[in-house]
Amino acid sequence: MPPLELLLQQALNGVMLGVMYALIAVGFTLFFGVLDVIHFSHGDIFMLGAFAGLSTLLGLAAVGLRAPVAALPLAFVASILVTGLVGVLAERVCVKPLARSSPLMTLLATLSLGLVIRESVLIFYPRGADPKPFPQLLPQGGFEVGGVAIRYENLAILGIGLTAMVTVDLIIRRTRMGAAIRAVAQDPEAAQMMGVNLDRTVDATFFLGSGLAAVAGILSGLYYSEIHFIMGITGGVIGFSAAAIGGLGNVYGAIVGGLLFGVLQTTSAALIPRGSEFRDVVAFAVVMLFLIVRPRGILGEQSVERV
Amino acid sequence: MIAVWLSELVVFALFVAGILAERPAALAATGGALIAAAALLRFVPSLRTALAAGFARHRAAALAGGAVLALALPLALRASPYWTFVATLALLYVTIGQGLNLQIGTAGVINLAGAAFAGLGGYSVGLLTLSAGWPAWLALLVAPWIAVSVGAVLFVPILKTRGHYLALVTIAFGFIFNILMNNLEFTGGPQGLKNIPTLRLVGWAFTSKPALAGVELPAHANFYYAALLVAGLTTWALRRLHDSWLGLALNTLRDDEIAARCCGVSLTRGKLLAFSIGNLCIGLGGALYAVMVGFVSPPDFDFGYSLVMLSVVIIGGVDSIPGVVLGACLLLPLPERFRFLHEYRLLLYGAVIVVMLLYRPRGLWPAAVRRYR
Repeated sequence: MPPLELLLQQALNGVMLGVMYALIAVGFTLFFGVLDVIHFSHGDIFMLGAFAGLSTLLGLAAVGLRAPVAALPLAFVASILVTGLVGVLAERVCVKPLARSSPLMTLLATLSLGLVIRESVLIFYPRGADPKPFPQLLPQGGFEVGGVAIRYENLAILGIGLTAMVTVDLIIRRTRMGAAIRAVAQDPEAAQMMGVNLDRTVDATFFLGSGLAAVAGILSGLYYSEIHFIMGITGGVIGFSAAAIGGLGNVYGAIVGGLLFGVLQTTSAALIPRGSEFRDVVAFAVVMLFLIVRPRGILGEQSVERV
Repeated sequence: MIAVWLSELVVFALFVAGILAERPAALAATGGALIAAAALLRFVPSLRTALAAGFARHRAAALAGGAVLALALPLALRASPYWTFVATLALLYVTIGQGLNLQIGTAGVINLAGAAFAGLGGYSVGLLTLSAGWPAWLALLVAPWIAVSVGAVLFVPILKTRGHYLALVTIAFGFIFNILMNNLEFTGGPQGLKNIPTLRLVGWAFTSKPALAGVELPAHANFYYAALLVAGLTTWALRRLHDSWLGLALNTLRDDEIAARCCGVSLTRGKLLAFSIGNLCIGLGGALYAVMVGFVSPPDFDFGYSLVMLSVVIIGGVDSIPGVVLGACLLLPLPERFRFLHEYRLLLYGAVIVVMLLYRPRGLWPAAVRRYR
């Protein structure tokens, strides 16, 4: 049994990973809410967000702007814009036209779209096949509390992630557009009768979700100090897992699911032998077991099927 | 009857020419002929209905003609061992696709871990021959059953979860399989298993070059005929199963579980049976692949290949037995044919699938409505 400090340390790391996963998962769950589809290219949109952020940072560095305080917010804004627009485009091209056909169609269509995005980055980004170093812009160093090392970098990632989540929560709960999103999620037809513009609401939802994925992408670049064009596959599957554990369609569920997945990964890495290699096996196995016990997630609607 | 054979011959000739044409002039001629044939069928409805009626009337003759042409394909491709290999691969995907179609199309059990089950078949063959010293043919017979029994760990989630949640469970299974193969010692880790012995039946090694009608064929032609036999048998068996009362029961389970159960269809039995039979076919395809290529490694069975298998089923036509054959025979050779596009290949593959789904959502060969006389 590893000492308690180690477990605490891993749990803390897990929470940080979990914040990134949660940001991706919220996108999955929002899209599912408004259109009842799983947007499988979301993982690759997350990867695109990381690359857009990196390009902005490199561009800013080229014109002499290297101060993190100025460069990072600009990178976030640019990346959210680019990724959000690509997300809306993806929805217009291949999610909404197929939303009424069987889930299998959207599944294959969005998986293929993800392939297109991934391959485009591989081909059109300069030397896209190599892992790209991501500039370290967050403050280094840290302090220790009761044997648990806390790094400033991690705190910053946690802070940015939480800010993004609170912002989205406020948008969904306090703005007109948020009310429209909630209304469409409940009942698209009734919402339209109340004067909600369905197309605009769906667009806004995809912009919002994809923008969150962009934030997650940059955070992941800052955390691992490296990004790679295939990171979207695992990122997408983990985000989807997190959204499903939480219960598809429920934003808070997605956040809980993301945190749970992160903590699960890091603690299993600490607890089992050769854990760093097998941590995803444990995490995915737990997801499978979990869905057996609660087939609709933690906060998912427990609907009774009617004939 | 002659017209049926003639049109089959034309399709075959176009197919072979499409594969083998290298020079710009030949390529342009083939492309032109393809477009002309497609346009003829598209814009001359009388020809279309006449051909369809002919094929419907002379079913047996059409099937026999198709079989003869399939047997003759290695002769046409004899100059290129590579294309014989690709054709064999397409046939393996027919076997795999039929299995997956039974699960996804007929029974509605979404399986996004096709590559993992093929991998289970492939790795089983590798381990049985290399570690246990079994002959290849015996391993080939046993390996699919290992895929079926390992698939049993998914039995409970299949009965418990629906739709997207089931999709996630199978994706998770596929990832677990890949990570385990990458990190376990006895499966060779990232290097995989090398030097899997080749098939040897009644003294005939599958690495020696066969001769057909006095013409020597590349060694891959052995596997082509083996894969053709297996693909033909699975297609025939699953066609029978699809047309039987069991296939009908599975269809009702897919369309409305509650109504089906009210009519006395057992959900547990139907779904598990479809899932297991499907895995048997997928595992068999993977096992044959391992014997043919002689080695297996984790990237051969990653999520991307599950996606290819899924696209074979969906682009061909969900729940359509001939659709799967068509899907596999188009989707497998096509990216290879466009190898000159180098890195743009996969990008275009993804784009083509999206466009196909948007404009032909029911597939190239949609499932026919069941008819009972």
